[in-house]
Amino acid sequence: MPYLGSEDAVRELRRALSNPNVQSDQLRYRNTVLKAIRAMSQGVDVSDLFSEMVKACATVDIVQKKLVYVFLCSYATLNPELSLLVINTLRKDCQDPNPMVRSLALRNMTNLRLPSLVEYVEQPLAAGLRDRAACVRRVAVLGWAKLHNLQPDAEIDAAVVNELYGLLRDPDPVVMVNCLRALEEILKKEGGVAINKPITHHLLNRLKESDVWGQCEVLRILQRYHPQSEDELFDILSLLDASLVSPHPPVMAATLGLFLGLCSGLPAVSLAALERVRGPLLAACGSTSRETRFTALCHIQLLLRSLPGLMGAHYKRFFCGYAEPAYIKQRKMQVLVELVNDENVAMLLDELKGYCTDVNPETAQAAISAIGRIGRSYSDRCLEILTGLLGLKQEHITSAVVQTMCDLVWVCPQCSDTVCSALEGCEEMLQDSQGRQALLWLLAAYGERVSSAPYTLEGFIDRVRSEASLGVKMELLTTTMRLFLCRPSETQDMLGRLLHYCIEEEMDMCVRDQALLYYRLLHCGIEETHKVLHGQRSDPSLGVLIGRPAEPINQWAYSFNTLEPLRQAGFHQVGWGASVHSHFQISPEMFNRVQVRALAGPLKDIHRVVPKPLLCYLGCVLRFVQSALEHVFIQDVSVHCCIHLSLNPD
Amino acid sequence: MIHSLFLINHSGDIFLEKHWKSVISHSVCDYFFEAKEKAVDPEDVPPVLQTPHHYLITVHRGKLFFLSVVQTEVPPLFVIEFLHRVADTFQDYFGECSESVIKDNVVTVYELLEEMLDNGFPLATESNVLKELIRPPTILRSVVNTLTGSSNVGDTLPTGQLSTIPWRRADVKYTNNEAYFDVIEEIDAILDKSGTTVFAEIQGVIEASVRLTGMPDLTLSFMNPRLLDDVSFHPCVRFKRWESERTLSFIPPDGNFTLMNYHVSSQNPVAIPVYVKQSISFFESGPCGRLDITIGPKQTMGKTVEALMVKIHMPKAVLSANLTATQGNYTYDLPNKVLVWDIGKLNPQKLPNLKGILSLQAGAPKPEDNPSLNIDLRIQQVAISGLKVSRLEMFGEKYKPFKGVKYVTKAGKFQFKCAALYEPFLLSFWTILFFYFTTF
Repeated sequence: MPYLGSEDAVRELRRALSNPNVQSDQLRYRNTVLKAIRAMSQGVDVSDLFSEMVKACATVDIVQKKLVYVFLCSYATLNPELSLLVINTLRKDCQDPNPMVRSLALRNMTNLRLPSLVEYVEQPLAAGLRDRAACVRRVAVLGWAKLHNLQPDAEIDAAVVNELYGLLRDPDPVVMVNCLRALEEILKKEGGVAINKPITHHLLNRLKESDVWGQCEVLRILQRYHPQSEDELFDILSLLDASLVSPHPPVMAATLGLFLGLCSGLPAVSLAALERVRGPLLAACGSTSRETRFTALCHIQLLLRSLPGLMGAHYKRFFCGYAEPAYIKQRKMQVLVELVNDENVAMLLDELKGYCTDVNPETAQAAISAIGRIGRSYSDRCLEILTGLLGLKQEHITSAVVQTMCDLVWVCPQCSDTVCSALEGCEEMLQDSQGRQALLWLLAAYGERVSSAPYTLEGFIDRVRSEASLGVKMELLTTTMRLFLCRPSETQDMLGRLLHYCIEEEMDMCVRDQALLYYRLLHCGIEETHKVLHGQRSDPSLGVLIGRPAEPINQWAYSFNTLEPLRQAGFHQVGWGASVHSHFQISPEMFNRVQVRALAGPLKDIHRVVPKPLLCYLGCVLRFVQSALEHVFIQDVSVHCCIHLSLNPD
Repeated sequence: MIHSLFLINHSGDIFLEKHWKSVISHSVCDYFFEAKEKAVDPEDVPPVLQTPHHYLITVHRGKLFFLSVVQTEVPPLFVIEFLHRVADTFQDYFGECSESVIKDNVVTVYELLEEMLDNGFPLATESNVLKELIRPPTILRSVVNTLTGSSNVGDTLPTGQLSTIPWRRADVKYTNNEAYFDVIEEIDAILDKSGTTVFAEIQGVIEASVRLTGMPDLTLSFMNPRLLDDVSFHPCVRFKRWESERTLSFIPPDGNFTLMNYHVSSQNPVAIPVYVKQSISFFESGPCGRLDITIGPKQTMGKTVEALMVKIHMPKAVLSANLTATQGNYTYDLPNKVLVWDIGKLNPQKLPNLKGILSLQAGAPKPEDNPSLNIDLRIQQVAISGLKVSRLEMFGEKYKPFKGVKYVTKAGKFQFKCAALYEPFLLSFWTILFFYFTTF
């Protein structure tokens, strides 16, 4: 955003820059250039000064040169013709005896980013590759990669590529690493730089010389190498052993990545490597940089998939501090859930209990669902905590607790008694649609045991006109139907009202069609309705969860040290502590439940099961269903929906 | 690798940007701003965000966000570590890493970024090398610069790049040769209501300030090196020697640097320097509560606890605090709901106490009793883990340097967690009143 009066400032600067008196005084000249750069960084458009700046470039003063280059590189794309003038000065600078001037000129020549200038740049770049000074070679090597990026479709010059391969043996380690980087970019289409046995061993032997960044780069590129024999493999592994316990987290992670790649056929060796990095990884978890801590945690989660016992003794390291950001706390809880065993369960639950009242509602919810996960193995203790939490009468906590109970009951039906008695009176605290949906589902499944169920439902039905959430309306229909089946005398009247409203007044097609479906189902008689609506209340196949089986390392090795484990989706992908109530969070196990629940209430899950574009198509199916109306067929359709689901698991 | 870098302040202004490959529009930051809007606290924005065409990797340092834009899959630890290195360099150059300082030195910042990355790849990140390429600004130098017209840019090739040891420049000369080491330890601890340690860990760092002529080779040995669990060293330390002899042997960089970081983990018992007796409770009836906190020394190794400060994050409903402190003074920050009690030196004969009434918003539900307490403290001349440097030897040079070691212990994340979640507050206001009358 140009400042007010910027035109005056630019005019002033131009006058000063073209003033011969200023030009003759080096100090004043440089300060004027500095002023222009300052103006540029403040957002003033100083592109009009381009021709003056080009002139200012021809100076012996290195400082001024640097400043002018900063200017030229930012405005060159706006003035391609005038930039031609700069090239001459730059080419002259490439002959300068001072290596610093040479490297500076070369770097900025390639930073101008003008395809029209490529022909003038190639010659000095080629000369730069053979320069005496290492710093010039460093720049020249990367310069070729930049040229290639300017013209990605141009033919690759084989001579240059050969020369770059040759420079891999350069005495300067930075030149060596830069060569790898440049070749990687230039040869992207051919799959990157070719790695053979001599190159691998050369790179490995010189690994120690390069800095941390270089080491990471080399280790990453070596992942493509496949050793020819087992002896060679073990030679490489023993060379890498020191970097595996490197105090620098990036090097450690890159080495482990390479280890896992090389040992993909030797699971025992890989497991030993995982044990070996435990120390450095834990150290990274205690790093002062919270971002490093977060990344380390995400990678520990990966490791735990194959070695669940890896961090067992160190569970206290994953207790959250008060001031830690929410994303770290949530990851730590996910790790804690994995580390539960008979000895530490009391301590862990005590700790998690403390997080349930976190100021950040998301963290609190994550803590509550973490307790729910532990509840699959230690249901009594966890239920005690969860019911205790309901006593706090906080909206977001109550909602999370009800959702968690809903998930828990599905896996551990033995918890249902406690859950049923806890449900009384929490509908007033539930404000969000997910919480209310979970409550309705619980009422549908265990309505005969919750004495106040009809009253709760009545409240919902009275407010159905103002209900905004589609999910709640659908759930409400099914719940009322199922409750009608077990407590007909109390619910008959309200079911009638609800069906009437949904069929006559409701604007949403999904709700209306489902209500019609139920209405006609009731016409078929109570026996038939019962058959259709009474599905499973829990999934016996899951049973009590005693630890997860260890996965083979190859399942996740490819994503180690990439951004994948850090992604937001990772939270759900892991499936721990994820809530079930949205259609983006489908893990295989929840999938079962949606399926079965879909059977229990035909078509009620359509909105979550089928992506939007399919809805109109489904509408047609529904109409067809209405006319046919045979419950076997209805069941077929709902199975059909599940197939949709598996086709679009998103 | 790193395409662009944006510096963003807490209020969400982009005040500096730098592009290494092609220019990427500001609008890419909108994804970040969106996440920031959603987060309760700006610090809660996740470090990695995915956008349709880019990844945004963010590092939060001193109220600034260093947001890097990445187009391809990268090792995340690499980018995060590098961004921290950039922030470290700014801190090193300008004394602090804040918006105003960066804006004041914008030209130097651009130069630094230009040197640190080329085509998105890290180039020169070692502070010694950078300092020769671009001299850090000092007050004296900026005065001299304006008078003589010289500037902060070095015009010779840095010798460090030619020397065999990349972190040390050749031909260092001093009239006073000195080597000082500061052992700084921070206690991270969580204690529960009864004062037992839930979790305790010591994070230590040894900061060095070495001004020695020539190419000295130093050896630093400890009385009790077995204490140290996870260590991470400056690249100059010879790791083999540490593994075999547990001594630090190194050719030091010139000037100030961090020699090592270490942890003393929960395996060893950690001394907790203070204890806290607190009771903060809110009455079931009536909008007020009671607060009574006493602090006393526990394991201080015979030294005085200084700069003691207690911070309490109060429940949202607390409106004001009417308290009396026997020592120090207290402030209640209403917008953030933080009660800060600045005590100062801890006198073991007369324990500091803070006592009084908290008033609540009328009609608000009764908040949870006993919120967590965070404690800040400092103990001079002792490293709480018991770590001691036994000797420092120098080889390779003839002269005798001045040597010195200083120890400081601080509280890091030091927390008393007292929330008793479901202890229902049985005594009503009237019962308390009743007790009050019967006891007196």
